Formats: sequence, C-alpha cells, structure tokens
Amino acid sequence: MEAGIVLEKGGLFDRVSRLFAVIDSLPDELSDEEVKGLTFVLPPDARSSIEAMLIPRLREGSLAFMRMLSSWLKKAQETAESGGKTILVPFCFPPELVHAFDGAFPVTSEVLSTLGVVALEGRGERYYDMALGLGLPDYICSANAVEVGSMLGSDDFKPQGIISAAAGSCNINAKTHEILAFYHRIPMFVLEKPVDNSERGKEQYRKNYSRLVGELEEFIGEELTEEKLRRTCEKVNRANELLAELWDLHKAIPDPVPNLFSLFTYGVRFSMWGTDEAIECMNVLVDVSKRRLKEGAYPAREELARCLLTYTSYYFDLAGMFNWTEERGYTYLGDGLDLIFPVMIDTSSRDSMLDGMAEQSWNMPMTRQVGGESMSMCWLEDILWAAKELKADCAIYSGHHSCKQTWSVVSILRKELMKRAEIPLLVLQGDSWLSRTTPITAVQKEILDFIGNVVAQKKKGKRKIRKRLSSTAEFNA
Amino acid sequence: MSVIQRLKEYSKVIFNESVKEWKDSGGNVVGYSCVTTPPEILLAADILPYRIRALGNPNTEMADACLARFNCSFARSCLQLGLDGTYDFLDGIVETNGCDHLRGMFENWQYNRPLKFFHYLKVPHQTNDDALKYYIGELLLYKQAVEAHFEVEITEDRLERAFEMEEKVSAVLRETYEIRRDENPRISGEEALCFYLLSTAMHPQKFLLFAGEALEEVKSRAPLEYRARIMLCGAATDEIDLLSEIEGLGGLIVSDALCFGSRAFFTTPVRVDDRIEILARRVLDGILCPRMYEEFPKRLNFILDEVESAKVDGVILVCNKFCDLHGVDNVQIRLSLEERGIPALQLEKDYGSGADVGRIRTRVQAFLERIESRIR
Repeated sequence: MEAGIVLEKGGLFDRVSRLFAVIDSLPDELSDEEVKGLTFVLPPDARSSIEAMLIPRLREGSLAFMRMLSSWLKKAQETAESGGKTILVPFCFPPELVHAFDGAFPVTSEVLSTLGVVALEGRGERYYDMALGLGLPDYICSANAVEVGSMLGSDDFKPQGIISAAAGSCNINAKTHEILAFYHRIPMFVLEKPVDNSERGKEQYRKNYSRLVGELEEFIGEELTEEKLRRTCEKVNRANELLAELWDLHKAIPDPVPNLFSLFTYGVRFSMWGTDEAIECMNVLVDVSKRRLKEGAYPAREELARCLLTYTSYYFDLAGMFNWTEERGYTYLGDGLDLIFPVMIDTSSRDSMLDGMAEQSWNMPMTRQVGGESMSMCWLEDILWAAKELKADCAIYSGHHSCKQTWSVVSILRKELMKRAEIPLLVLQGDSWLSRTTPITAVQKEILDFIGNVVAQKKKGKRKIRKRLSSTAEFNA
Repeated sequence: MSVIQRLKEYSKVIFNESVKEWKDSGGNVVGYSCVTTPPEILLAADILPYRIRALGNPNTEMADACLARFNCSFARSCLQLGLDGTYDFLDGIVETNGCDHLRGMFENWQYNRPLKFFHYLKVPHQTNDDALKYYIGELLLYKQAVEAHFEVEITEDRLERAFEMEEKVSAVLRETYEIRRDENPRISGEEALCFYLLSTAMHPQKFLLFAGEALEEVKSRAPLEYRARIMLCGAATDEIDLLSEIEGLGGLIVSDALCFGSRAFFTTPVRVDDRIEILARRVLDGILCPRMYEEFPKRLNFILDEVESAKVDGVILVCNKFCDLHGVDNVQIRLSLEERGIPALQLEKDYGSGADVGRIRTRVQAFLERIESRIR
C-alpha cells in the first residue's frame, strides 16, 4: 500500500467523523428499502457492520446509538475548533469528569478504534500497521493501537491532552498513551490505581483523583464549580438508573435485550456518560428491550444457552459474533466491559460529587478487576456475581491476545468458576479488534462445539452412572 | 580455577552452595523479583533475601498450563522453576506489582504451590509526595508482615546493620561497573552480570569476601579487546549466555540500564532520619524502570549520561517477547537516541531460547558493522 493512499484518505478520526455525519440526515424510521440503499453506497467492510446493526429488530436501538456517536464526534471537533481542549481518555476512565468542563471534551481511544474497525474500509488495520511501522511490538493492544496508530502515523485529528488511567491496571494501555504523548509532545495526566483493595488503597486513589481534577482545571483553564459538577452528576445518575434497568431486563428468560445492545451500552458509557445524549440513547435501549420482553420476542425458537463473556468480545464482525449467536439461541448476557457497577452520586456538595466520581472510576471495567489486589480473585468475584445474577449457563473468554493480565490468570478463573459455581469456561484465542488473527468462522465453530458438547450436556443434568453388576450377579440374573 | 571462573560457575546455579549452607544452618530464605523490594528489611530480620531468577531456563511446560503463551517468557520461566520445585528452598516470597506478567506469575505460583510466607508489597507508579507517603506505609506493612511471620523484631540497630551491609554490596558493584566502563576495560559485561547475580543470591558478608578477591584478580588482568563499546538496556536480563554471545562477536558491554544490573544499585540513597523513608526514596527517586509512567526523561538522561561517560558506541535495547513495558519504552528510547545520532538496536527475543541465538547473532553482527562503518 502506498503511503499516499492513507494520507489522501486521512486519519481514522477524520474519516469516521465524515462517515458518521451522514447519520444525522437519516429519518427516524428507516424502511428496509432505505437501509438497502444506504448500505449500497458503503464500502464492503462498513456495509457488513451497518447491515448487522440495521436488521429490523436492532434498527431503532442502532440508530439511537449511531446518532449519539455522531454527536460525540461532532462535539469533539467543535471543541477543538473553538479553542477548547479535547482530551484522549482510555475506556477505563469515566468521561463524565471531562464532560463537566465547559471548555473540554473527551475522546475515547478504544471507542475510536472500534469505530475504525466497524466502519472503515480495511477495518482500521492500516492504522495498526502504522503503529508497528514505528517499531512498536506486534503484541500491543489493538484496542488502542488502531486509533493511536492513526494519530502517530497519519495527519489525523490530535487531542490536546491525554488522561492515562490504566497506570496500575494495564501496562500496555498506559505505555501506548505514554508514547503518543511523547511523540506529539502532548501533556499527559496520570491517574494511578493502586493495586490495593484496602481502605489505604481507596484513600490513595481518592487523592490521585483529586490531584487529577486540579491538574485538569489548570490545563483547561477553568474551575470545576459545584454547579457544573451537579449538572453532570445528575445526568450520570439518570443514565446509571437506566443502566440498572437494562441489567435487570437481562435477567428475564429468554433475555429480551438483543446481544448487540451489550456493545452499545458500554459504547455509551465510555463516551457520553453525563450528557443528555447518553440518557436519550439509554432510554431507547431500555424501551426496545422492555417492548421485546412484553412481546416475548427472541430471535431464535428457544434460548439454548445463556453465555457471559468474561472480558472483551470480537468487534470486527458484528453480524458474525453478536447476531449469529442470538439467532442460534445463544444469548450474550454481556461481557466484562458491561461490568460497570454504577454508583449513584450524592450531589449534595462538591466533595461528595468528586468522591462519588472517584468511586465510579475505581469501579470501571479493567480498573476494578485486573487493577485489583489480586487479578484472579477480583475478576473471579465479579464474574461469579454477574453469572449468578444473570443465570448464566456458561462463560466464554475471547482471549484477546494482547490482554496479558487476563491471560495470565484465566487458568485460575476457569478452575474456580467450575469449582464454585459449576460454570464451564470456554477459552478462545484471537484479537478482539483485528480480523487478521482468528477468523470469525473459527470462533463460531469453537462456540458451537462448546455449547453442543459441554453446555447442552450440562443442562441435561448429571449423567447417571449405571451400577455395574458383578459378573456372578450378572450370570445369575 | 581462577576466582572469576569460580564466580561465573557459582552464579549459574540457583540453589547455590552458599544458600544451601544458610539453609543447613537453619536460616530462612525469602524470594523477591523486583528491584523495588528493598532487601534490607529481610536482612534485618536475619533472613537471606534472594532475587528470583531463571538464568535462561528455556523449559516452561508446567508454567504454560497456568500462564499463557502471550505472557513474557521470563515470567513463565521463573514460574516453571517455582512449580517444578527448584525454588522449594524458599521460605516465602514477596510479590511486587513490577509488571502485569510478574503479577500473574506470583498469583499462579501462590495458587498452585503456595509458600508459607507471602506478602504483596505494592509499589506506586508515580513519584509525587502522595506516592512517597503511600510507599512508606507499604514498606512498614512489609516490615510488620516479616516480623509477625518470622517472629523477629526488626530493631533500628538491626536495620542499620542491614543498611551498612547493602551499602557495601552496592559500593562493590559500582566499583565493578567503574572498571568495566574504563577506557581500557578489564571486566566483561558477562562477568559484571555474574557479580550482580551473586550479590542477590548470597549473604552480603560472603559476597563481599568473594567479590573482593575477584576484583583483585580483575584489576591485575590485561585490558579486554573489543570491536565496539556497547550499552545494554531493557528488560529483565539474567541470561549470562546472551551477554556472552554479544561479547563473543566483539561488542563489549561497558554499561547497562538493566534491572539485573545498574538499575538495582546505582542510586545513592538520600539520607534522612527515618530509615524506611530512605528505602522509599531510594526506590521511587532512583528507579529507572518503564513501569514509572512519568519518568521517561529520567530514564533517557541516565542512558545519555552513560553513553557519554562510558564512551559507548552503540546501544542495544533488549526486550523479551510480550514485554509491554520495554516493548514500548524501547521505541521511545530508540527514537530519542537516533535523534541524537547514537546508533541503537531494538532487539526482541524469546527468553532463554536456544533457537533464537542465530537470529540474535546476525542482528548484533549487523549492528556492530553499522557502528564500525561510522567509526571508520
């Protein structure tokens, strides 16, 4: 591939923003014919994603989600153009803190990477290759490297600041943000999560969070007043209520929440929490799911297996992962990134709000589990809790190959899930964002075999072992 | 056999004679893996601190059933030795959050073959005042845990004696390094690594005697010949054979920024009244590890100073496959060195793998030729 081709087409952020600008001009209710016309003009990779999202049962929720993302991308650009500060954050950092400022806006690294993978021709892999071209190793996390590769290797939109919130929970995430800051001389603000679940650890985290707030106020040049915080926290609380409602809906059998809504839920959480757009989108996801519950709607004849994904999913083929499973009766109850543990923030004072926000930050996915004192036990506790709450029959680990922390303790998770709750765990291998590592058909085959041979057999109940008769008794009989 | 040869042989053994003698006399041994674990606290409790190593062990079958192939092969190699019983002489272990792979290694070790004493010392990734206070608190908890488990009181006097011993060890190691970076070096990088390895697998008093003799021998030798003066930087590198390969090609390692090397003892501790605070400051102020996310300028400056003072011709940035911290940090360092016209080679390798030797040799050879073409 010639370098000129990439430069001509621009970086990931710019290209995704241009594509999403189209969403605003779409009518609220799209007909099948209009969907066909829309996908016809898209490049093949984007077409398959959009087709997966716009099938009738998902269309309303998908459009709400895409509109929210369109607004997110537009506001990020507007903030930069008006002299405000766009701040790159990782998914494990609650963006509401940045939303609380008038003059700043958060852009989330992993959300952008996912959008590149879902919406762009070539599934964003050219940007990943740019990161490798700089000498970065091929085991860096594609969740960051697709977007960061674009920022390092193309003339893409650049943030004015970076919050690194994975210090303590993920080495590669924190290092990838560090090299971006170094390469473009962008200020970086570190929020360290101590690997300490004691009160000392929590107190240290509160101090770190408070220091970050001060650093951001100075960088943005704006005081984070009680009024601004309250405005945001009230919206956070409302979105948290809707999140809790959606979680409860998942408990119904069959699960009325479409599989893809799991991705949408954390897509909203990691980008627009604390804004009206997040509430609007979550309202639609909840309403659609409630309606489906009332109608008893489920995409397959029967819900055969309730599967909990223990960490990330596969994002390069939405139809092949999310829709394919539910059409076979395999419910995707959610994954590790849905384990957000919302905190209702006490809005009575500035301190109470900042404490609440810090607690929420502590509870974010990855931070809370592998950023905990014991990676295996903190992860296990959350998965066990979710599996019991949602009545999971089985668990699946997607095995995103860059996730060294989960990979290093998944053997413990597998043993303990079986021992404590008799939940079998399927361990897959692949890259959640790159289609070049493991084909989705291989993933599907593994899931089919696992559910057919392990989960279905388990649901039939314990195998009865016939009492063996002694040869004499057998003879006499 | 010369003293240096004896030292080299000694350092290639995990459960060496000195540790055996210590155990036979009823002494306790506690393992740790990261330079952020101050050995003084163990020494003050009359426990032998032992830095966990794998010495290039390529076998990881048992560890691979716990950790994954996507985990660093050094961590897998150490875990293997923990699980296969090689480290059964340890009476306990101190975990630190050095990196994600080591955290996984410790959790699997303790889950599958638990040791009686296990303590998790949490080390901050930042160096501000809050981090310092937190780390002081952590060191106090570490001290209390040792006192409680081993039923010993770590008094100020005992701590002071441990400080003195460790300072002497550091001084000897610094002297070794000075000889190595001399205009006419009389000690190789491989031998200097053996000095360090032994200093963390032997009681300080014994090490000081042994090292003293070895240094005398070194000083009386003729200077070593070489093609280029190399600085070796990067990840946990306790593979004596790797350094020997590089030096066998003519790249004499005259300096390093390795955690099995200068990063462990180069910092002169700041003297304050409280000894625990001295330890905390030594680690947080002096640590040159990429796990510290805001300290890149410090790491780079250390390398630049060394390049100048040790007259380094080229820098090899070594890293084990799947090492996130050095894998990324080495890119930043390489870019910064190249910006200043300093030749740098990023060398990714599989830990302890004999199959990797040919490839490493080719890359180092090409690097040395690149350097020579500049010198000419």
